[in-house]
Amino acid sequence: MNRPEFLPPVTGHPPAGPVRTEEPEPVGMPPDGDRPAEDTPAVTFSEAAYRLHGATVVLRGVGIIVVTIGIFLPLIHDEAFLITGFTLLMFPYSGAVFGVAALAWSRVRFWVHDENLVYQSGVLRRASRQIPLRRLQGVDVIRPLVPRMFGLAEVRIELAAGDRSELRFSYLARPMAERLRAALLAYAAGLHGGTPEATERRVHRVRMRDLLAGLLLRVPVMAGLALCLFLGLVWAMTKESGVAGGLAPAMLVLGREVGWPLVAWGRFTVSSSPDGLRLRSGLLVSRMRTVPPGRVHAVHIEQPVLWRAFGWVKVEVTVTGYGDGRDSAGVTLLPIAHRDVAYELVDLVFPDASLGTVELVAVSPGRFDHGGSGANDVVFVSRHGWPGRTIDVVAHERAQSVQLVAGPWQRARGRATVYLDTPSGPGRAALVLPVRQARMLVEQQVARGRLAEHRERPHSSQWQDEPAP
Amino acid sequence: MGIGGEATAAAFQPPPGLEWHSVSSRLGWYRKIQVVGFGVVVVVAGAALAARVLPAGGALLAVCVLIAALLVGWLVTELNWRSWGYVEASDELLLTHGVIWRRLIVVPYRRLQFVDITANTVQQWLGIGTIRLYTAAATTQARIPGVPLADAVSLRARLARAGVARSAGR
Repeated sequence: MNRPEFLPPVTGHPPAGPVRTEEPEPVGMPPDGDRPAEDTPAVTFSEAAYRLHGATVVLRGVGIIVVTIGIFLPLIHDEAFLITGFTLLMFPYSGAVFGVAALAWSRVRFWVHDENLVYQSGVLRRASRQIPLRRLQGVDVIRPLVPRMFGLAEVRIELAAGDRSELRFSYLARPMAERLRAALLAYAAGLHGGTPEATERRVHRVRMRDLLAGLLLRVPVMAGLALCLFLGLVWAMTKESGVAGGLAPAMLVLGREVGWPLVAWGRFTVSSSPDGLRLRSGLLVSRMRTVPPGRVHAVHIEQPVLWRAFGWVKVEVTVTGYGDGRDSAGVTLLPIAHRDVAYELVDLVFPDASLGTVELVAVSPGRFDHGGSGANDVVFVSRHGWPGRTIDVVAHERAQSVQLVAGPWQRARGRATVYLDTPSGPGRAALVLPVRQARMLVEQQVARGRLAEHRERPHSSQWQDEPAP
Repeated sequence: MGIGGEATAAAFQPPPGLEWHSVSSRLGWYRKIQVVGFGVVVVVAGAALAARVLPAGGALLAVCVLIAALLVGWLVTELNWRSWGYVEASDELLLTHGVIWRRLIVVPYRRLQFVDITANTVQQWLGIGTIRLYTAAATTQARIPGVPLADAVSLRARLARAGVARSAGR
């Protein structure tokens, strides 16, 4: 508040209350899992400006110093003179680093003003971002390994605005982070920010052995394992060192295909609450994403060929804000689960969809891939692919445009492709049909979109409307 | 046009009671300018190359081939501009184009995020412009080239109004 005249006029001034870092009475939070709602007293981000947690300075500073040492030490390690000089230099350097970190920290302030989140920061170039909370697409609470040990967490918010549409609050105390998340989601729903945190119900927890089995039971991974085994055997027999060179890339691929997903998706839990779906995951960096209802455009259910015997599927969703850019794969709703669980989850995402009951009509009976499509009042479902299988689910009220395309080969065979366009992400539903049916489907989809728009959506309408006049 | 026969032709008809609104024949001229501009470069380069590499008879053949290509190009531009059509239905805009790959795109007005008109120098000289419709999906790819500029401006205004009137969120 030392230079309030800098602020753009729309921003408003920070509330008159004292600047706070913490709650007056911090509440003990139970570890991961279901959290009772009554121990979260009202936080009103509109009544006072808040800071990040003070330990941010220490974490940031130590991080930078460790990186600096890591870069320079290997270069000078064998010269005693240089080491002494370096050590001496490190003292003023560390001081400067901590000074800058502290200054940067002291300049960060955030509060809520008129349904907008205001985030002020910057040392040399001061910035003040104003974020309309109605445009909020999702809130993540992320706890990387080191900050987690200090009980800190990062809050990351996503907006539907293309590039630079995320904002990070790093770091906040864990209870504060939870509180901020709840308050932001409440504001996004048009409720008062002090609304107590919505209660949640756990929908599904991915068991570690299912995840591991699922990750291993994929054709590329099995092939990689077989290759490793084969190379290992060859090496054991011939003692040819060149073979080990072939082993390294195979191991790298396995690490990327199995190791990384295992760490990222370990302890994956899906819970449902009135303010959205909550996805928790991560062994080292634990992450909690909240996808508010009504933000999902399409669901993409994948079934690799080896999973079909077990009925396992992977579920991804397209959400505005996510999906175009940083995280092009969309949001993983379930890394692995049984089909029934997936269907249940889709019904949560698209209320009244009852995916399990949608009857799929075969595109052409007896075709090897069993491609088919079906629809009810809420969603359009298409299934295709062989031997792996993909099911795309698009909500009528979310589909953007419908296209009918017929190339020369298709026309010679009397066929055409129907595309349902959804905002970028994994779900673009496409279906090859006899040309007459294809045009009928186009008309049906347009009509369904029109109807869905007029239908009442008591549960999710709050989320989709622009700010009320 | 005949591939796929009646069924395909029927599938790309406008909604009952409406007719495809065709684009300006000046789009054909614009495409011809493009083809000729490109063709001149190819002919000159081809002739220079043919004079060096091929015997005299071969050079003549190469020039014949290039002229034939120009004629085909001419025909294609003629088919191309005639293939474009759009119609404003009550709740959505339909547009179609393509001779070999036929396309029909339906864009509900309530999904429109913005509409713009572009016209490069040659198009401005011809008095035509391209209207692009944008929805939240990047795959929508709905554009109408070769609309006379005055029509384009009024169409854009109508689309924008229709979009606002029917919009509900995104």
